[in-house]
Amino acid sequence: MKNQAVRDDVKDVEDHSAISRRSFLKLMSATGGATFALAGTPKLSIFDFAKTAAAKTNSKGEWLPTTCQGCTSWCSKQVYVVDGRAIKVRGNSNSKVNGIASCPKAHLSLQQVYDPDRLKTPMKRTNPNKGRDEDPQFVPITWDEALETVADKIMELRDNNETHKYMLMRGRYSYMRDIIYDRMTKIIGSPNNISHSAICAEAEKFGPYYTEGEWTYRQYDIENTNYILLWGADPLSANRQVSYYLSAWGDALDNAKSAVIDPRFSATASKSDEWLPVKPGEDGALAVAMAHVILTEGLWYKPFVGDFVDGENRFFANGMVNPGTFEEKYTSGLVKWWNIELRDKTPEWAEAKTGLSAEQIRRVAIAFATAAPHAISWVGGGPVMQPRGSYASMAAHALNGLVGSVDNVGGTLKANKEYTQSFPGSDDFMDDIAKEGKSHKKIDHRGRKEFPTLTKGKSGGGVVTNNAADGIINEDPNEIKVAIGYMNNFAFSAPQSARWFEALAKIPFLVHITTNASEFSWFSDIILPSTHHMFEKYGYVKAHGNGYRHVTMNLPVIEPVWDVYTDETEIPYLLAGKLAERGFTNLLDHYQTYVDPETGAAPANEAEFALYALKHATHKLWDPAKYQAGDKFSGWEEFKAAGVWNSAPYPFKKRWGKMKTATGMFEFYSETLKAALEGHAEKHETDVDDILETCNYQARGEMAFVPHYEEPLVHGEENEFPLTFVDYKSRLNREGRSANCTWYQELRDLDPGDEAWDDVAKFNPIDAKKFGIETGDKIKLVSTTGTIECTAKLWEGVRPGTVAKAYGQGHWAYGRVASKEFGKSARGGNNNELLPADYDRLSGSSAFYGFARVKVEKV
Amino acid sequence: MAKYAMVIDLQRCTGCGGCILACKNENNLSEGVSWSSKIAWTEGTFPDVRYTYITTLCNHCENAPCVKGCPTSAMHKTEDGVTNHDPDKCIGCRYCMTGCPYGVINFNWEDAHAGWQEQEALIADVTAAPAEMVQQVGGTSIPYYNPALEETYEGVRPRGVVEKCNFCNHRLENGQLPYCVESCPSNARAFGDLDDPNSDVSKLLAKFRSFRLREHLGTEPKVFYVREFTPGTNVASKGGV
Repeated sequence: MKNQAVRDDVKDVEDHSAISRRSFLKLMSATGGATFALAGTPKLSIFDFAKTAAAKTNSKGEWLPTTCQGCTSWCSKQVYVVDGRAIKVRGNSNSKVNGIASCPKAHLSLQQVYDPDRLKTPMKRTNPNKGRDEDPQFVPITWDEALETVADKIMELRDNNETHKYMLMRGRYSYMRDIIYDRMTKIIGSPNNISHSAICAEAEKFGPYYTEGEWTYRQYDIENTNYILLWGADPLSANRQVSYYLSAWGDALDNAKSAVIDPRFSATASKSDEWLPVKPGEDGALAVAMAHVILTEGLWYKPFVGDFVDGENRFFANGMVNPGTFEEKYTSGLVKWWNIELRDKTPEWAEAKTGLSAEQIRRVAIAFATAAPHAISWVGGGPVMQPRGSYASMAAHALNGLVGSVDNVGGTLKANKEYTQSFPGSDDFMDDIAKEGKSHKKIDHRGRKEFPTLTKGKSGGGVVTNNAADGIINEDPNEIKVAIGYMNNFAFSAPQSARWFEALAKIPFLVHITTNASEFSWFSDIILPSTHHMFEKYGYVKAHGNGYRHVTMNLPVIEPVWDVYTDETEIPYLLAGKLAERGFTNLLDHYQTYVDPETGAAPANEAEFALYALKHATHKLWDPAKYQAGDKFSGWEEFKAAGVWNSAPYPFKKRWGKMKTATGMFEFYSETLKAALEGHAEKHETDVDDILETCNYQARGEMAFVPHYEEPLVHGEENEFPLTFVDYKSRLNREGRSANCTWYQELRDLDPGDEAWDDVAKFNPIDAKKFGIETGDKIKLVSTTGTIECTAKLWEGVRPGTVAKAYGQGHWAYGRVASKEFGKSARGGNNNELLPADYDRLSGSSAFYGFARVKVEKV
Repeated sequence: MAKYAMVIDLQRCTGCGGCILACKNENNLSEGVSWSSKIAWTEGTFPDVRYTYITTLCNHCENAPCVKGCPTSAMHKTEDGVTNHDPDKCIGCRYCMTGCPYGVINFNWEDAHAGWQEQEALIADVTAAPAEMVQQVGGTSIPYYNPALEETYEGVRPRGVVEKCNFCNHRLENGQLPYCVESCPSNARAFGDLDDPNSDVSKLLAKFRSFRLREHLGTEPKVFYVREFTPGTNVASKGGV
């Protein structure tokens, strides 16, 4: 009641503002989603708050540096430690990427490290039957028993010359990863190190790579931009540099307009000028229509793109242009792109596809391009982690080329240079068994005709994470007998998770390295408890934002709470010791080459190994004798105390004309993609059209090499499955790992439209009426491949014809809070049990968005 | 003697809830208790939708109805204008909650952190009971217990009393800002002395038109709001008035 009174009061205040809330809504209606220009507002000086980042808290403790990997922002942090207890978290002011800013989900890390449901000790299953409904009947075992059992199983493979039947599954990682992921797998002798990257956001990198030659996530210079156009990105909630964007967004809005393209009204949409609730999967149509408008209106950025020789614009709807009439500067193939794809992609054409008015499409495109070159087209996962998403990734990213914001002030930037170094090589430690084993094909089928996975231009260059389940189930190309997974939970995090239940149950000997007994653990034989990455581990990561790149270290700021070891360093070292005891010394011999750069000493134990490996990897950052650029330290101790190294500032416009593409230019006609596709076709003795047909793309001929529109590939017929499912990430998600925190559950309503202690599927009231659904109803969502249960909520922030639900809930294991009943029933529903396993095959990415139809049933 | 106030810049506020979490962390708040909170709502009809988020906390009113209604003076004003609470004097009558027009006072129906007193482990001998975890780590009532509160207040408050924001009294005593101000990733909060024209709060109030919640009630809140959460929808406030 009082909340209502406060609401009414705030509305009263708004109503007395210069433009009232009601007239705003009226105006929005009149224009079909309005924009409000604000010309000439001076940028106000930033008022300074007396933040006490440097001040000491009074009680007896100290702030110690480390790194948060709750999401892939990878912020540098400081943890306040009192009497050996971690009690608070804040941003590390030494970082030029995130500074003191620290997002809300960082606090939840305290409830993770001190989660009572963390494993205290290794355990093994005593029920030999594996399955979703089989209680593993875990019992504690010693580290010796656990590691000796794992070593015995690996030795069996080696003795039988079948080391290729060993597999390593990597989830979230620090850059210590290669110790366990690469070196250990190679020296044992297997090709099967499978990372999670393709269930992350590889398709996001596809567009930038095949236009500007950078297989990387971008950073966005929002403090110097005048327009921010976001494609499914929700940086105020999730990925990447959430802390930084939270700190900069409010002031960026003084200068910039922002528009959010998303079928769901996101947190970032709530802080933006305009919402474009596109029909799921139709982002590509919107992108090419915007490109069409920018060209026909003559708004491309001529100092970057060039111009017609005589200055007269020949881009008219439907008309062809003679390439000889246009002279490009730092781009390549603009006229080809126009002639092949853009000329008939009018806003009116896109209106029918996208469900957005031609007027809004034209207006936003013009406003965006008018801000050139300080205009950002920000490509998030939503439009691209879809079947056929690679081309939407190219199309949306190509807008940055049109407005010259690539590598430019107020634009879209790559990562700055950093100087970490690789671990010692493994070649000398691979014996004949290992070499033979390694020569086998990988379990995820990358590089096969139907999985080009053209990472960095190479056929089979990337991973097809989710297809590994099918590889295991079908024993294709071979069976997997022994597998280890670390900091992963593919039985929860990969679409059509039930396939993973089957695949994991099939593996005769499965090991899981984890903090909590998760869904993956449920199918495992041995579970090894790991340190928490933020408080108990040595490691480092690289991240970029705010015009800088930082290398920030995971440091043990407290003693491990229980008898646990670190996944990427200590556990492989300890396992190497057990293998050596069994006569196979190669892995331990290799690890002995990770010497302390300061003393030259080889590691005497697992703790020294972890430390020396980190000092080795970061050597050029902290040793003044090896100084390259960026922050300079007097030595390891000073670097460790700072916790983070910062790069030199961003070198703007240095890549104009020198991009790592086939032409050196920003490619609107991608010679780079042409070479990659032709390479893949040649490998399979066919042509590019056949590859595209096999991989479910619509493009044929020259269309394959330009950013273009592809119709969404959808699972489920509309008459049976009337709603398109819209997945998104909660702003409190620490990937899939925070649902066991009470703070997560209590505050799930921080996501617009969501509810505390619940998992709500949000329906537009129009659809709800159609299906007889009311807020609070317990419902089932049914797709072509799965069913989940959750709660219904009516909300105007979802597009009619869609149903939106956050990822994060639906754990049936993990802990007492995350699951309704551990091992049995879930709190809410896991979106991945609903989503079919399908792929954007050019990038290998799993599809998460815009491709799954569902129906709703009341429970 | 100061006249403490907080100013919240709604354009900078991103609705992330960092303040709520930081406050729960700093002040050892039990599950379900929030001294810093929010009121959020969605209005309009698709596609003309607006989401508004107002961050809330004790307004430290000059004419505080909670203080007037308290029969034991447990709820009282300090000389710096902060509304403070003494759990030793509190009889749990909840008149303060009835009187508060903002709904920002919490009542402790249960023992603090009851969940952490549980004795049962999820997996026998492999995971810990919550109480065992607290003991292992050496915290008081919760593993991440913040002892700093004890300097001016009770580390956790017992069942049967009320509790609310005290502008982080224990931090003010040490010349530190309230933790929500320090922790806000969006730099949306300022704190300081209204009588000091050079304080952050005075400067902000001079620069921007401000409002306070339910101002017409005459409570004279000391929490001020400037600009708007959704700046793009209100031309006049974008970039400030």
